[in-house]
Amino acid sequence: MVADIKDKAAIVGVGSTEFSKNSGRSDLSLAAEACKAALDDAGLKPKDVDGMVTFTMDMNEEVDVARALGCDDLTFYSRVPYGGGAATGCLHQAAMAIATGMAETVVCYRALNGRSGHRYSEGVSGDLITGSAIHYGWYTPYGLLTPTSWVAMYHKRYMHLTDCTEDVMFEIAHATREYAVNNPAAFFYKRPFTREDYDNAKKICDPLKLYDCCQESDGGSAVVLTTPERAKDLKQPGVLIKGVAQCSGKDQEEMTSFYRPEIAAIPEMDIAAKMAYEQSGLTPDDIDAAVIYDAFTAIVLWQLESWGFCEQGKAGEFVLSGALRPDGRLPTNTHGGQLSEAYIHGVNGIVEAVRLTRGTSVNQPKKDVNHVLVTSGVGVPTGGALLGKMD
Amino acid sequence: MTPEERKAFEDKVHAYVGREVNAPQKGKDDVNKAMIRHWAEVMGDENPAYTDEEYAAKSSKGGIIAPPSMLQIWSMEGYPMAHNPSQDVQRELHNVFDEHGFAGVLGTNTSAEYYRDLRPGDEVHAHTVIDKISEQKATQRGIGYFIETVTNFTDQNDEAVGKIIFRVLKFTPNDSNDATGGDDSDDGMPEAPTRIASPRGHDNKWWWDAVDEGKVLIQRCKSCQTLRHPPRPMCGECQSIEWDSIESTLDGEVFSFTELHYPKFPGYQYPLVCAVISLGEGTRIISNIVGCEPEDVYIGMKVKGKVEQVDEKTMLPQFYPAD
Amino acid sequence: MNKETLQYQDVAVGDKLPPLEIDISSSLIIGAAIASRDFTPVHHDKKAAQECGLPDVFMNILTSNGFMGRFVTDWAGPESTVKGIDIKLGAPNLPGFVMTVTGEVTAKNDDTGVVEVGVMGENNVWGMHMGGSVRIELPKSDQQGEV
Repeated sequence: MVADIKDKAAIVGVGSTEFSKNSGRSDLSLAAEACKAALDDAGLKPKDVDGMVTFTMDMNEEVDVARALGCDDLTFYSRVPYGGGAATGCLHQAAMAIATGMAETVVCYRALNGRSGHRYSEGVSGDLITGSAIHYGWYTPYGLLTPTSWVAMYHKRYMHLTDCTEDVMFEIAHATREYAVNNPAAFFYKRPFTREDYDNAKKICDPLKLYDCCQESDGGSAVVLTTPERAKDLKQPGVLIKGVAQCSGKDQEEMTSFYRPEIAAIPEMDIAAKMAYEQSGLTPDDIDAAVIYDAFTAIVLWQLESWGFCEQGKAGEFVLSGALRPDGRLPTNTHGGQLSEAYIHGVNGIVEAVRLTRGTSVNQPKKDVNHVLVTSGVGVPTGGALLGKMD
Repeated sequence: MTPEERKAFEDKVHAYVGREVNAPQKGKDDVNKAMIRHWAEVMGDENPAYTDEEYAAKSSKGGIIAPPSMLQIWSMEGYPMAHNPSQDVQRELHNVFDEHGFAGVLGTNTSAEYYRDLRPGDEVHAHTVIDKISEQKATQRGIGYFIETVTNFTDQNDEAVGKIIFRVLKFTPNDSNDATGGDDSDDGMPEAPTRIASPRGHDNKWWWDAVDEGKVLIQRCKSCQTLRHPPRPMCGECQSIEWDSIESTLDGEVFSFTELHYPKFPGYQYPLVCAVISLGEGTRIISNIVGCEPEDVYIGMKVKGKVEQVDEKTMLPQFYPAD
Repeated sequence: MNKETLQYQDVAVGDKLPPLEIDISSSLIIGAAIASRDFTPVHHDKKAAQECGLPDVFMNILTSNGFMGRFVTDWAGPESTVKGIDIKLGAPNLPGFVMTVTGEVTAKNDDTGVVEVGVMGENNVWGMHMGGSVRIELPKSDQQGEV
């Protein structure tokens, strides 16, 4: 059975705070500002909002954000688990709520002091943020404590089985950096980098080095969704949810699915992709641009395969062809991605996916972009969404 | 601080950039054999160029020299530092930071250049200037500013003999600070950190208890005999909740691995390699590869495990190259 | 200590220096602080160190710097000349710790005869205490190779 979700909800507003390394503000202040920016962008008032979605990892209670913003009654609120795996999961919840009439206008937000506050790179050594301490207890005594270390374990295997080399990883890092250089909101705005910088950067967890890893950032991003009917009367052209799916694969663990027959793969994303394509009636050939969750360079490769832009194991070749570049087959992470703009757990990526569809991405100014893919974090239960222009 | 207050504060501290800490000063002691010998003695430095006159005279040095790393020592203030340090411009600047909540201070970097060897009888004059103050930075220690001073050293002929750049962090300490916050046990010695242990609950305690006794067990369904790891309460194949376990021989093969470079956590010994290991019994386990260089580990490598005590509190399976 | 001074030609990038283990005691920390004329209380007065959040007196920077130099001249020999030392400081060294210093030749400058040695000092409790580089000039025996 294919879910009936196509064209049931539209993204009508997007917004972000400044991205920084030290916001000097509360998480709640960032969340409220991002939500307000998204509502302003849509031409909506806080009183129009009746639904809210965020990450289980977010520190900001829906009711606190609602009071800060000055919303009235909320009839829908929900949270999505598994870190960055929740990014498009928020769209998934919002679209279902709108499609069923549980809410009319839903704000999805994510705000964090990810650099000046709790840094995920510091690992699960202290207080666990989420998930069970028992689960991480299978890894912490051995020193396998950080997101980079878990991803490195998968990627070592991927490199062993495919032609993926450091050239491929550099190309992903470099492509995002060249986009960020033009994006005033990006951490690496006007700061290009070279192969030498990449090669000489410190090793984090073999085979990942510093520039294979995303920015740790302070900031917030939000998007507003409503019905396509309501969207027609608002300030911005609406961006339709064509398909949206989540999946936790067989034998999934949170970041450590090391017990499957093969670990150089993300079967949960394969399934989410298949579902989203079926819902939307689209194929990979219809997708003009993408925002692919890039907490690390390596994870972009696996997702390109899951979404059918190349064959299994051939993502390296695809990337080296220049496919991710401004005039390539699939301009990707055109804001600079989380590698070079900021790490707002993928929600800044949804903002960029909307800008791409609207034709306002700073790096794709004149392109006619009809359909954009945006994905969630991987290694965890994950998902993705296909966005399209409203007629 | 409001943005306005922060700006006023930053303007105030930046006004110190370029100011001299104090007027050029001659060191209290000229370079001398006694202080050289005292220093070399504590440092355990047996270099004969510092202390053996006969050797030094015959060597290319042509006589006793001071260890270059003593350069700054000749101009130190000495005992007044303990009780009544001079109130120079640098202390005044630090006080401004203190008043604004940046009370922590930490030397982070020094960079020294030595233009010539110093010899007994040389005078050393020091002239220190506040050279740079960074933007506000978020550091592991807390939020703060880096202050850089430059000291130029000259001799009795006003010729340059060296230069030292010194960088300190003035910061607001984090509450949740790292190991250097230090536990204070009775004898005043910090406890050596150990590896982060797994909490033990209903479904995993038996497994870790067995490790403490030197055994690695694999959970087995009593109904269909399927092995499973990590342990969980129900068999995914037949849904039985009855189980027992077998002991692994710890014969395995590396399925994937990573060498952990950064960050380094207290209590772990680096270099450190973690691996996914396929055990002969058919399940996998995550562990460390030890007993060889990290660069010698490869996917497909045969390994053999044993349970070992890795620190004061931790027993763990560790895997060695099989041959 | 190597009493025979290494020649510039004998050293190659990648050469590893013999590791040096230093037992850190209160006597060493205080003795070296005083020998370096550094009377800052945290380096000789346990109570003052505790007020700064550390359990005991800790090594001053001049001593760490001194060990960087000693480690490299121990290897290079008495007729070498230390030209510069860069240090990044990490966790403090406290009584009871053992610091292991390791190093490797990272660069050579044929014009000046200066060799750069990357040095790392790690203690057994908190890890990295100091990391950086020492630049040291070695004698060049230009003719000897021609014989």
